[in-house]
Amino acid sequence: MRRLLALWEKETLALSRDVLGLAVLFLMPAAFIVVMSLALSDVFKGGPARRTEFAVIASDGPEFAKQLTERLAGDGFHPSPEPPERGVLHVTKPALTLIVPLGFERALGTPLGKAGSPPALKLVADPSLPPALLLAFQQRVLGVVLALRVSAMMRQAGIAANADAFDLKRAATLSVETIGGSGRPSSVQQNVPAWLIFGMFFVVMPISSLFIVERREGTLARLVSLRVPFSMLLLGKVGPYFVVNLMQAVLMLLAGRTLVPWFGGETLVFPARWDLLAAVTACTSFAAIGWGLLVAVCSRTLEQATVIGGVGNILAAAVGGIMVPRFVMPEAMQKLSEVSPMAWALDAFHAVILRGGGAADIAAPCAKLLALATALFAAALWVHYRRRVLTSAQ
Amino acid sequence: MGTLNLEALSFRYPGRSETVLDEVTLVIPAGGIFGLLGPNGAGKTTLISILAGQLRGATGSIGAGDETLEALRRRRPHSLGLVPQEYAFYPMLTCAENLRFFGAVQGLAGARLKERVEAAARFARVESVLRRRAGRLSGGLKRRLNLAIGLLGQPEILLLDEPTVGVDPQSRAFLLESIRSLAGAGRTIVYTSHYMEEVEAICDRVAIIDSGRVLVSGALSEVIPDDSDLEELFMQLTHRSLRD
Repeated sequence: MRRLLALWEKETLALSRDVLGLAVLFLMPAAFIVVMSLALSDVFKGGPARRTEFAVIASDGPEFAKQLTERLAGDGFHPSPEPPERGVLHVTKPALTLIVPLGFERALGTPLGKAGSPPALKLVADPSLPPALLLAFQQRVLGVVLALRVSAMMRQAGIAANADAFDLKRAATLSVETIGGSGRPSSVQQNVPAWLIFGMFFVVMPISSLFIVERREGTLARLVSLRVPFSMLLLGKVGPYFVVNLMQAVLMLLAGRTLVPWFGGETLVFPARWDLLAAVTACTSFAAIGWGLLVAVCSRTLEQATVIGGVGNILAAAVGGIMVPRFVMPEAMQKLSEVSPMAWALDAFHAVILRGGGAADIAAPCAKLLALATALFAAALWVHYRRRVLTSAQ
Repeated sequence: MGTLNLEALSFRYPGRSETVLDEVTLVIPAGGIFGLLGPNGAGKTTLISILAGQLRGATGSIGAGDETLEALRRRRPHSLGLVPQEYAFYPMLTCAENLRFFGAVQGLAGARLKERVEAAARFARVESVLRRRAGRLSGGLKRRLNLAIGLLGQPEILLLDEPTVGVDPQSRAFLLESIRSLAGAGRTIVYTSHYMEEVEAICDRVAIIDSGRVLVSGALSEVIPDDSDLEELFMQLTHRSLRD
């Protein structure tokens, strides 16, 4: 135990003097959390929480345009204060412009199929508008038109009916309740755990760089000649980097709680179960350190470690839903993402932070992370013993 | 501890066809300095690495007194000290931190660790730079720190692999004087170097190896002909052709 403590102390001292390496471990995920939480806040909000402006241009007159505008407004869709002119529709403000052709109002009272189809409506949309929002507005237009048509036809049939009576919003009250209080993560709920995991896996850089320096400078050989078991040399790196990962977790959660709202984003709501959060962080840390050890043992040069570790992390992050949330991925990619350890970690963090889950909810991802950590550690030992050579003597 | 006996020691790196050590048999008596000479690629560092326990898979046997070297090291883990040709310490740590760390991994602690760190630092004359980062020392001081670390555990067998490479004449003189003072009292010192005059100055016995084979071995006075010197003998045995 004394030797292990000495190894931990040495590793901590060496790491504490690598200011640049530490800065990368802490500042990089914090910067990603702030930037990505703010940049993607609208994408994650969707629906009513997102403000989308629209305008109606009706050839049948301003009264009909006003009527349609009033009915279409709501649930995040807001009338544009400055409706566009017909000739400048290519400008992306407002995001949606409904063009109603001449005679459309009169055609509403005509039963479908008797005198052909009513003149076609046209919706001009900003190309950057999320498809889900475009679809929602399309459905909204059709619902309003249907209400107007039913109302007009009933009036023709001598039944006094106001179009408001057929407003879809009044047809029924529908409340949506999602598991754990919210369904999909908000921007900050997605980005804090995601970039925290990404940052945690980046311990591969300092672990491998110091290990390669130790091997190149003969320090590792000297330690082996002092009969320090190689497994202990590897374990000597686990303790300090585990502490680094825990500190990353605390600081990144604080960044979500304070830094992101300070820049105008949402505030991260802390989970009720801190014990589960600690367990998830620990399992993620072991997997990240295991990865770092394997890269360190396999790489012969710093350049190799940088490429293997860096590219490996970026690939795992891209596939695992760190850079792009998994729920926006196509089904095939979502399936593929299940192979990424970062996706397992993100699932476990979401179970605690987002869904308020219990131990059973994090058991599977945590077991996978621990199994991976054990396999990576064993692989690092196997690679070392297979080479059977430690020094640069050859 | 007694004599170090190497019997038909052979070694080949995994995946390579050439034999690096070929049936090396040497007798290295305790209480003196044994010079191990050879051109680049002769197998000196490989032999040192096998003795230090860094390379496995060698055939043959290594005896230490009346037991194997492995058994001795199992019994007394820190009976062997290595001063490699690389600066095998942490450049980002101070000299004191390096000495404390290498002492602690040898099981030293508390007052004993403090005492050994002070003694090793004093011996290698690095006390005045203990608080300086090791990476910022001059070449001579780095060599002295390297030696101090190798002496922390008071090893009975000391392996010195080209310990004077890249130092100024003053530091070399100091290192040679220090190494000579370490001999005796039953300690076995194996010393490799390319500097023939160093070996002639401090070694009692020598072995010249090339291509993994022992070309000559014995007391310095026995192996060097009267009308010659060690360098001449070395060149004669290993030929004058350039090595990679």
